[in-house]
Amino acid sequence: MIPTGKLMHQRIAEIVESCTNQFVAEVSRGAEIPAFGSWVHVPTPDGREVYAVVSHVEIGSIEPGRRAVAFGKTTDELRKEMPHVLELLRTTFRAQVLAFKDARGVLRQTLPPFPADIHGFVYPCTEDQVRVLGSPYDFLRMLARNADPAVPVDELLVVIFNQIRKAGGTREAVVEAGRVIGRLFNDDHERLQSILRRID
Amino acid sequence: MASLAPFTHRFYIYSKPAQRGLNASFSEAPEEVSLMLDLSRLQSQFSDFGSYQVQEEAIREQRLRRAIQALRECRTAWEDLNDRARAANPKWLVGRAQESPDTTCPCGPRPTPITVVATDGSQIFPDRNIEPTCYLLNIGRIAFQYGTHERPLMESAPFFRYRSVDLEDHFDDVFETSTAEIVSALRDGLELEALLDVAESVRIAGRPIVAMADGTLIRWMVRRMHNRALEERLIARYTETLAGFRNQGIPVCSYISMPNGTEVVNLLRVFLGDTDDAGEESIKGLVDRKIFECTLGIGERSAIFESSSHIQQDYGEDRICFFYVHVASERGGAEIGRVEIPLWVAGDASLVDMVHAVILSECEKGDGYPVILSEAHQQAVVRARERDIFYEMVDGAVTRVGLAAFGSRKAASKRTPRV
Repeated sequence: MIPTGKLMHQRIAEIVESCTNQFVAEVSRGAEIPAFGSWVHVPTPDGREVYAVVSHVEIGSIEPGRRAVAFGKTTDELRKEMPHVLELLRTTFRAQVLAFKDARGVLRQTLPPFPADIHGFVYPCTEDQVRVLGSPYDFLRMLARNADPAVPVDELLVVIFNQIRKAGGTREAVVEAGRVIGRLFNDDHERLQSILRRID
Repeated sequence: MASLAPFTHRFYIYSKPAQRGLNASFSEAPEEVSLMLDLSRLQSQFSDFGSYQVQEEAIREQRLRRAIQALRECRTAWEDLNDRARAANPKWLVGRAQESPDTTCPCGPRPTPITVVATDGSQIFPDRNIEPTCYLLNIGRIAFQYGTHERPLMESAPFFRYRSVDLEDHFDDVFETSTAEIVSALRDGLELEALLDVAESVRIAGRPIVAMADGTLIRWMVRRMHNRALEERLIARYTETLAGFRNQGIPVCSYISMPNGTEVVNLLRVFLGDTDDAGEESIKGLVDRKIFECTLGIGERSAIFESSSHIQQDYGEDRICFFYVHVASERGGAEIGRVEIPLWVAGDASLVDMVHAVILSECEKGDGYPVILSEAHQQAVVRARERDIFYEMVDGAVTRVGLAAFGSRKAASKRTPRV
């Protein structure tokens, strides 16, 4: 889920819609599609950086008037005999903005003063970057309190928690993240249990 | 005004009773739709229509049977028939058979990998109400490297035209005679030039290639301009491009869906000694397509014929030949299409087979129409919104240099029609 090696420094997408708390980006041709729940970041020329979590991925037609239909062919057959079909598809993803780095390089777990730049390039976060997004985990609260019903909050929390572990966080960091989630849902035992059951 | 009254038919559309309720007031006027078509008068005129069609269908069937029989009978003497047609020199266009007219050829496998390229064009015609005078040609260009994972080329290229850019010495002709026809002819020329250009640029050594155009390769339109100098200039340009394909060895073809050609029927009329006043015995009025619907199996092509259009005199070695093909779509539909190729392609059996196979494969994938031509069209088409932007850009370019724009097309189109 967290890219390693050469891939991590390659841009994967370009922002096509942007607002304070989320953006939509089109995945660059040939780039790997970012996984649901993975961290991405958008640097700006003045040194700021916006951090976000992928909350929705969509593959569809480039042109609004054209719909994808079933051809009964494998991807390989389509590529060889109907090359335009794959050319006319695009993958976009929506990401929830949960943190930003200000011009002095200070990481803040809150919404940035300005949205990520439209046409800005999106990069996957490295394990180091994910580790830095640690205590006090205010971004978990931001996500859990997200009012947009289109954002699958609980599922995102599961994936984010798993990433904290996989990024090699200390035991204390993992326990603290667990406590934050616990406190967020202490009035909803069922929901908390459902999230905890799904954690690896 | 009174005389108009009988032609006005009024329909009253009542809302559903459940919604109206018992207390609906009389002041609630029903929604009213007025039609100017008097349906009762129209209906009376339909009484003989059906029986007339039955009668006509019987005549058409009879003509078709005669034509199919003639196609088979002329098999042994088709070369003499060509000579007879030339000697008779009828007013009609008579196709010149290049092989026995009743030939049917099944389709072989399409080579793979293979490069197929196509172009199509559209335009924004010059508008007399807009100053300065200008127009736009937009060419869609597609190149598919079938059987490979190579990325396709799919793009469009706009060509903004005004005096000093294109046909400078003939520019005024564009506006003095039929504007639409000349701009269309220029677009056709540009489509073919772009086709040659794309074919040359994407061609890969050792890989077969077919270049495909939409519609006809015979420039019928050009002869209707009544401007000899311009016609010759346009034809010379066009034939020069056709020669380019020949020089490069790139087989070019064009595809016509639902063709209305009668050149094969006319050849059969010569065989039958058919005259204009032969009455019901004549096969006049039949189109070639109808014959081949009956004689060609799915996937098969007809014999190759050379077109006898007068415009062909200027085509030299690139005179246009054609054959019909029974194409099928993957979803089950079938139709007769007409494929045009230059003489040098028609004379090379392996190239004819390749064009035949490519056309069939394209139509199978494109639901009965070559998929690459559909994509070229999609790239070329200029949508209404884009036309508005084009005129805004024209306005902007003029006002930036301090000239007054005559009035934007967009503003004009937004004016509400008045009664």
